[in-house]
Amino acid sequence: MSEPAQPKYRVASDKPFLIGLGVLAGSYLLIIGAMVLADLVFLDYGDQPILGNERVQQGRYAEGAVPIRVEAGRTYHFRLGKNEVALKHDEQMLTGKNLFKANTDEVRLQPRIPNAPITASLRPEALVIQIALTNHIATLTTDESHGLLWGQFIRVHGAGAGWDGVHEITDTTTNQLSIALPENSAATPKTLQLSKPNPLVQALRSRDIQFSIMLSLISCTITTLMSIWVAVPIGYIMSRFEFRGKPLIDTLLDIPIVLPPLVVGLSLLILFRYAPDWLSDSVVYKWPAVVLAQFMVACAFAVRTMRVTFDQIPHRYEQVALTLGCNRQQAFWRVILPQAKGGLLAAATLSWARALGEFGPILVFAGATRQKTEVLPTSAFLELQAGRTEGMLAVSLIMIGAAVIVFLIARTLGMKRVFA
Amino acid sequence: MIALKNISLKQGSFELSGVNLTIAAGEYGVLMGRSGCGKTTILEAICGLRSIENGSIRLGDEEVAGFPPAERGVGYVPQDRALFPTMIVREQLAFALVLRKQPQTQIAARVNELAKLLGITQLLDRAPDKLSGGEAQRVALGRALAHRPAVLCLDEPLAALDEELHEEMCRLLEHVHRETGVTVLHITHSPSEAKRLAGCHFRMENGKVTRE
Repeated sequence: MSEPAQPKYRVASDKPFLIGLGVLAGSYLLIIGAMVLADLVFLDYGDQPILGNERVQQGRYAEGAVPIRVEAGRTYHFRLGKNEVALKHDEQMLTGKNLFKANTDEVRLQPRIPNAPITASLRPEALVIQIALTNHIATLTTDESHGLLWGQFIRVHGAGAGWDGVHEITDTTTNQLSIALPENSAATPKTLQLSKPNPLVQALRSRDIQFSIMLSLISCTITTLMSIWVAVPIGYIMSRFEFRGKPLIDTLLDIPIVLPPLVVGLSLLILFRYAPDWLSDSVVYKWPAVVLAQFMVACAFAVRTMRVTFDQIPHRYEQVALTLGCNRQQAFWRVILPQAKGGLLAAATLSWARALGEFGPILVFAGATRQKTEVLPTSAFLELQAGRTEGMLAVSLIMIGAAVIVFLIARTLGMKRVFA
Repeated sequence: MIALKNISLKQGSFELSGVNLTIAAGEYGVLMGRSGCGKTTILEAICGLRSIENGSIRLGDEEVAGFPPAERGVGYVPQDRALFPTMIVREQLAFALVLRKQPQTQIAARVNELAKLLGITQLLDRAPDKLSGGEAQRVALGRALAHRPAVLCLDEPLAALDEELHEEMCRLLEHVHRETGVTVLHITHSPSEAKRLAGCHFRMENGKVTRE
């Protein structure tokens, strides 16, 4: 008697599961990568022309093509709007965003829908028509209003030693701008060209942003040191000791993580109203407030990390160390802390990165005063408020750079084998 | 000598009371019993890693019940060996001596002596994660013996070793016991291991230790 033939047991393929995992993980990674890449790509790293007033009158036009008067021989910058097909110039159709030199004295804008508003932009390049030099201050007069502000930077070409390069604008009127030249500059040239350096150069040259970079680096480092200083003992206590009210303390430690950062700042601000005058005067709206605001949030993350780190080190090591002749303190320094090195680095990196990005509490508790309590996120915010998206992007790139450098340092230190 | 008299201790819902155990100086005692019956707890109480509620623990001529682990003069080899991951073998062997601030030359001499006794001279500069199970066991043994303790507590030292290594380690333990004259308390599941090594034989059942 043969048994009834059983169908061979088969399992379904793993492919859908693995593909699912890959898609979910991959899409997130893709967004991370694309996000950073977009920042890097969006910024125009080349110099930009100095542009005068808008030539296209915004508004409704009743008919089809809109004629615009231009000056033959001058360079114009054209940017296509939403409702235009192209700019017709000398039988050529210009689309997109570019510079062109006018050959005729009229160009025509081709709208898509005749009665919709025009949004294209056509701006002439401002040319320097007069150069004056007094007391090492060069005053340049442009034929179009240049739209530049005091404190911005400008690049000079083709004017000789001392003149060429990036200069800070020391004074402006609608058609004039002044720059300071070094002592031994060349004689006043007949002509020169101007351009705007890319926003990254502008940001790095700006004294305000230089200050905010310095303040960010210093405050983040102080915050990190303080966080580690506090997080190691708290993490150790929470991991190794049992005592009454431990769950309560555990909850308290999480408050800065759970609370909206802005509320942390506000709470600090209100707390310092109860502090003695000398204390609140030297902290609130001053740089110590920046550090304190960063510390309150960053430290909570460091504490978390250190606690997990200590939790992952079995008690056994301490026990053996105790029988070998350590007291608790020696066991901690000689056996536990060396094993916690990786966690320590992680906690430091995390609190540094956290502190670098802290914005809300700083704004509330330390204010956003240039050259005083301005850190990089504040700079980004101020740039945005001033309508300079590119400036904000430049500051963001500086922050990305700083974060990447710190991360790499932590990684290399962490990767270093304990045994060479 | 190890002498436990009327030990009682409590840990959560686990409770032991009236435990007695005596191992004469220089004897090799083996304690057997089922998992979870409290063998390791007894061992930890002897080492001072677990506080007792009542009773007396005498190691040698001293009553050590209130002493910190460091002052009891025991060598402890836990089940998982717990070699310090950040130290090379040489540092592990020297650890107890460095704590006692012994001179460098003396430490070096003792480390070499131990390495020779345990056959790990060629491993002295290795990191613990580069050791096999048997090698790690030897190092853990050496670390526990470095400060010449009067009492050696071994918690299932041969549990994770294969057959061949098992016999080798048994021989080594005998050798070490003979050479050092240390009083040993060895915990195990294995009756054959107990038979092989025991000078005196204890069984733990229902919270009581009886001598066989």
